[in-house]
Amino acid sequence: MPTRRDVLAWGAAVAAAPALAACAESPGAARRTEQAERRPGQKVNLVFWSWVPLQKAVALWNRTHPDIHVEVQIIPASTSGGYQKMHASLKAGTPPDLAQVEFYALPEFMLVNGLTELTAYGADKLEGAYVDWQWRQGVFGDGVYAIPQASGPMGYYYRQDLFERWDVDVPRTWDEFRQAAIKIRKRGRGARICTFPPASAMWFAAFPWQRGAHWIQADLETDTWVVDIDGKESLEVADFWDGLVRDDLVALMPDLQGGWYRAVQTGDLVSWPSAQWGDALLRGNAPGTKGKWRVTQLPQWEPGATASSNYGGSSTAILQGTRHPVEALQFAHWLNTDPGSIDLLIGAGYGWPAARIELEQTALGKPDPFFGGQVYNRVFQESDRNVDTSWQWAPTTTQSFSHIQDAFGKAIAQREPLVDALRDAQGRVVDDLKAKGLKARGA
Amino acid sequence: MTTTRTGSPTPAATGRRSPRPDRAAWGFLAPFLAVFLFTFVAPIGYAVYQSLLTVERHGPMGLGEPTLGFAGLDNYTLALQQTSFIESFGRVFLFGLVQIPVMLFLAVTLALLLEHVSGRWAGVLRATYFLPYGVPGVIATILWGFLYVPGVSPISDLLGGAAPDFLAYDNVLWSLANIVIWEFTGYNMLIVVAQLRSIPQELYEAATIDGAGPWQTALRIKLPLIRPALVLTCVFSIIGTMQLFAEPLIIKLQAPAVTGDYTPNLSAYNDGFANANVYLAATKSVILAVVACALSFAFLSLVTRKQRSER
Repeated sequence: MPTRRDVLAWGAAVAAAPALAACAESPGAARRTEQAERRPGQKVNLVFWSWVPLQKAVALWNRTHPDIHVEVQIIPASTSGGYQKMHASLKAGTPPDLAQVEFYALPEFMLVNGLTELTAYGADKLEGAYVDWQWRQGVFGDGVYAIPQASGPMGYYYRQDLFERWDVDVPRTWDEFRQAAIKIRKRGRGARICTFPPASAMWFAAFPWQRGAHWIQADLETDTWVVDIDGKESLEVADFWDGLVRDDLVALMPDLQGGWYRAVQTGDLVSWPSAQWGDALLRGNAPGTKGKWRVTQLPQWEPGATASSNYGGSSTAILQGTRHPVEALQFAHWLNTDPGSIDLLIGAGYGWPAARIELEQTALGKPDPFFGGQVYNRVFQESDRNVDTSWQWAPTTTQSFSHIQDAFGKAIAQREPLVDALRDAQGRVVDDLKAKGLKARGA
Repeated sequence: MTTTRTGSPTPAATGRRSPRPDRAAWGFLAPFLAVFLFTFVAPIGYAVYQSLLTVERHGPMGLGEPTLGFAGLDNYTLALQQTSFIESFGRVFLFGLVQIPVMLFLAVTLALLLEHVSGRWAGVLRATYFLPYGVPGVIATILWGFLYVPGVSPISDLLGGAAPDFLAYDNVLWSLANIVIWEFTGYNMLIVVAQLRSIPQELYEAATIDGAGPWQTALRIKLPLIRPALVLTCVFSIIGTMQLFAEPLIIKLQAPAVTGDYTPNLSAYNDGFANANVYLAATKSVILAVVACALSFAFLSLVTRKQRSER
């Protein structure tokens, strides 16, 4: 029999229910963007959440724009806590004015109505200052929802000294990459050509992208997301890496983690197909290898081709709920196009500028002693022109990535083919989209 | 002993006291009740309410302004259809079945041994064993992470080729169990020590007179008398195991084997924050709460039934 206290507790719970239902439960951001009135000369404070070390550029802004003060708050990178924090703040109605959002995550923020539509504040007039495909990452329908910052055209970093010592040719095709991997394993005493990180789905996605796959396409006529993760091109790529894993030609450690940095320092990992922003990571984490690295184009699937790919890319978004969209947009545009700001961002290793630039006029156009005096960004400049810019991201990409990562992790541990892992992920990604109330189908 | 279990108090026992509870008592209870309602009952009610909602999509590609709709039990169906969510329960059950007995065995052993350490050293040792509990779970996991990752781990260096991969598929659950044991053994030991202290000295004297050695005293007197402490720590541990979160979340960065829905709590967290689906997250949280509640009460009733049948 319930005691008096039970009865009271339940009574209170029942009484509380309508009160809770009355809470404005909104499916997306709890607060809408509105321009606050500003008296002439009144100082505005903007809060900017980012994990990119862009404090120097922001300090320059604060020096040159005394009435709009921007405060950078460093948050955990992307899905390791940053986006979680942003989603929570949107839901709670206490978002920062600006936030670092990667290209792939923009549709996810659209889904929770988390981004401010910027044409109302004049963003459409800024388009000409940016590289076309990067600008389009923030365009949905007729609206502009983010200012692009940088992308990650891919190249192939390799240790020239070790390649020479072991008489390994720098691979121009993925076939040659495999030959090189065999030589390195034979002559390198424990060294491997690179790692295959099972938990880096975005890195993996770059290779089907290069091969010509389209994991996601928006069918605008039926408003349906078409998923094609296990298409012919993607399976070919998975099969290629499968062969390297099966024959023990690649390491299997997670990348960008303690063990990986150590292996890069010691020369146990001798090359890295990666994005332009990888330069700062090598320079910062393996200073002892200075002068030994070179960069060349990604190996090709077809001999003589020039297909490239993109890994990563980021925007400055103005979150839903800011009270200063005009000032925030002004800052976002300045941050990503002002020559002084770009030079400081380049120094911090932020990636390939979204602004239209002349390579020779920026810090990117200088010979770099870390890469043995190579003007290595010429490689990335060419790579950037060869990226297939019709690639799209789904509004559930974080989930897609974690499915692929889980499936790859399991496949590698249990020695199952990566191809099966992709097939497994395909079905799950369609289900995720449907679970969000979106229309989706397989290709 | 049966006489101690009395029914409702006789009128004689309540004497002059009015049948209505004392107003003063409610006054004293009010602060607790207010906080309890605000931080416990209300959030649970809110979570249950949210678990019945879903987002409806509009506009081109579904990216337009979303609206909220009543979903009935759809979220529950969706959650229970996810095999990975069901598997996560299996995983924490297995974890608990191994980790809780090992931890409590260690806690009791340490507590009993401490009884035999004299004076100053007892305090020092007790504090040392308790120390890991003062380290937050996140920090503990980062610390152990360094000891697990091949390449930076001194353990792997020491063992060379014989070193197991602590973060491999089949091992990582037990590597996590090791972290949790390290964190909580000292805490549970302290509860047992407190209970041991409350055992009257006369019992030991009587045992000694009857010729019981240290082993017999431990097995026949101390162990049965610390039973309430063991039940308590066991219930805490069951609930703690069901809610396993920080350790797998942190070790995930180093171990691909730890998936986004490795434990039920992690699964709910990822839906709520990474996937921005608070309604499914609320559903999973409610399911988790129900299971944890059921398990704790099942364990308690199992223990009390045994107690009753012993009497």
